[in-house]
Amino acid sequence: MKTKAWELKDIIMMAILGVVFSAVYLAVFDGGVMLSTLLTPTGLSNFSFEIIYGVWFMAATLAAYIIRKPGVALVTEMLASAIELLMGNSGGLTVVLTGAIQGAGAELVFALFRYKKWDLASMSLAGMLSAVFIFIYELFYLNYIELAPTMLMAQLAVRFVSAIVFSGVICKLAGDGLAKTGVVKSYAIGAKADTGKIYDEEDE
Amino acid sequence: MRSINPAIKFVSLLAMTFFLAYRFDPVLNFAVFFLSLVILIASGVGIKRLCLFMIPVLIVAAGMFFTGYRFSAGHSMPVTADAFLVSDSRWWNGLAQAGRVLAYGGLGFVFALTTDRLFLIRSFKDQFHLPQIFVYGLLAAWGIVPHMMQEYKRTRAAFRARGLSVLPVSPALLKPLLIKSVRWSEELAIAMESKGFSGHEKRTDYAPVKVRIRDFFFLAACVALMVAAAFLR
Repeated sequence: MKTKAWELKDIIMMAILGVVFSAVYLAVFDGGVMLSTLLTPTGLSNFSFEIIYGVWFMAATLAAYIIRKPGVALVTEMLASAIELLMGNSGGLTVVLTGAIQGAGAELVFALFRYKKWDLASMSLAGMLSAVFIFIYELFYLNYIELAPTMLMAQLAVRFVSAIVFSGVICKLAGDGLAKTGVVKSYAIGAKADTGKIYDEEDE
Repeated sequence: MRSINPAIKFVSLLAMTFFLAYRFDPVLNFAVFFLSLVILIASGVGIKRLCLFMIPVLIVAAGMFFTGYRFSAGHSMPVTADAFLVSDSRWWNGLAQAGRVLAYGGLGFVFALTTDRLFLIRSFKDQFHLPQIFVYGLLAAWGIVPHMMQEYKRTRAAFRARGLSVLPVSPALLKPLLIKSVRWSEELAIAMESKGFSGHEKRTDYAPVKVRIRDFFFLAACVALMVAAAFLR
């Protein structure tokens, strides 16, 4: 990590991750909708989204894990949500705001670790704080406060597990896998990775 | 709708969404939803395309209705029996939850389906002073998207040619895609920086995006709608 300032390649990287994850978000959203259709008559359709909620925190943790600079988690999550909006998300304009809230949750955890600790624990915590942040927001915005408290506690618990699985475990594996291929060697994550000989069709 | 300044459109519709968030009024929500549908059709969005986008929204709305209906927290909504046909608190709760999803979805589509991406980024740069480095980064990333789609199709075809069947979201397809994207983004960044698009220098624009009178009219119309709704309901 030579510098904390963002370079053009960091921003393009964040935007690319934003594009990839906005596509993932939309696909997962439709999957969640199908799942919730099955649960609709029971009134438990909210849970179908809680199970996969961690997916929505992935852009922030993965980008931060790769680039490891302040602000990356927040901005990447916002970019992903903005692109998701433009691709036709059904949650409406506030999806950008939810992106900012989730990103802020993840960013806060990485900031508390002073952008020095990058492992499963810090990434899972980042996902969990995103979950808490967005849950508080939903209490008011989606009127969840009108729902029964036991239902809300159950929802939050499921969301925590989802956050750990998706934004913790899966993002760590994805980031490490990417580092092993050597393509991210100019970013902080790839600087220390043992890549061996790297094959590139054009040079070296 | 298409020619309205995207930055102004964004602020207006966002303000409207927040306005709705502080009002627990199904009738208003449903009205906003139908108004958005009318605007979308009037601005030339195909009916078939619209229906396709609406399917998930309607399903979520139905889900929220049943959630609100079944799991109503004890206290009732601020509503009098003679003001509405369905004044039962459970029905009301369900409708309130469903109406919100519909109204937010409608407003979101009004923005997403009538806004050009490049126009949006340029407008954010000129109206909200988005830093230049972001503008270049976003435009570059947007330019890579078609390549990514192409690469995805190519990898899929390569698997099919070898007689292997893979799921549409399988890691076997996503891994090469991600690696290629990262490589492209790096090459693109080097190319752009070498040509002076690093974002640190001050540059001028060929066609800056301006706020015109009709944009103010749109903003005024949105504010008027909110004020009217606040007084009437």
